[in-house]
Amino acid sequence: MRNASRCGECGDIALNLPSPETLLYALLVITAVLIAIIVVRPAITVSVAGKMLAFVAFCILPVLCGSMAASTHIERSKQTKFCLSCHIMEPYGKSLYVDDPAYIPAAHFQNHRVPPDEACYTCHTDYGLYGGVRAKLGGLRHIYIQYFGTPPRPEDIQLYKPYNNRECLHCHAGARSFESNAVHTAIRDQLTSNEMSCISSGCHDTVHNVKEQSKVKFWTPGQ
Amino acid sequence: MKEIQIERALRISGVLLILGIVVEIISLLWEKPLAFLLFVGVGGALTFVGIVLYLYSLLPPAVESSSQPRPKNS
Repeated sequence: MRNASRCGECGDIALNLPSPETLLYALLVITAVLIAIIVVRPAITVSVAGKMLAFVAFCILPVLCGSMAASTHIERSKQTKFCLSCHIMEPYGKSLYVDDPAYIPAAHFQNHRVPPDEACYTCHTDYGLYGGVRAKLGGLRHIYIQYFGTPPRPEDIQLYKPYNNRECLHCHAGARSFESNAVHTAIRDQLTSNEMSCISSGCHDTVHNVKEQSKVKFWTPGQ
Repeated sequence: MKEIQIERALRISGVLLILGIVVEIISLLWEKPLAFLLFVGVGGALTFVGIVLYLYSLLPPAVESSSQPRPKNS
């Protein structure tokens, strides 16, 4: 019997279905049990049904489990808390709470202009084709440097290449607040072609600024 | 004799797959960047080797080549 609850506001019945992660764990356990049965009693694979069971347990289910687990890992790596789980990223996470609207990441994070749970990924993903894949490969490189190389100090971290305006225009282009600004419309072509940078041409140049973190005031959620 | 070999391959493949699944579960429970490396490097490798070994066990045994020379096409 499915576990159901009634919504307090609209009265609709909502089914409390297990999360995809719970289903994945269940699938992993079922696969392990099926494989264990065949390992203990390999003679059951003599029959046609046994052969089919072995094929499902040894081939189809492990591939399915692996794909689902990879997808879960990739989704998890988009989370803000995942990025900030590295000690070196702590000042960058702290910069999201700076109490100054001139700080672009802080203003976006605090006003939910980016999803707070995926704040880093939203702005630091290349919105071109294969952008997500490139971001993940970059992440693997960061892990390598963290454990086998010499990681830089947080304040010395730099982007591999200048920040692409496309990442800003992905959301802002077409938005009323952006389009109604006379400066934006006047330099639109330069912004689109990256001839002029949104963040380093003197307009929106206060970004994470971790070097100056000791001088700023921080916002505490709920205050 | 052949059945014993197949059973042995199935057992080894099964153990590798179970180990791979255990590593995958550990990597999912461990929410750190290294968990992904553990998942791909250890869990993925064990699962891949397990599947390949199972598929290899399905192959029919190689037929021994005949000692008589094949007739030539004239």
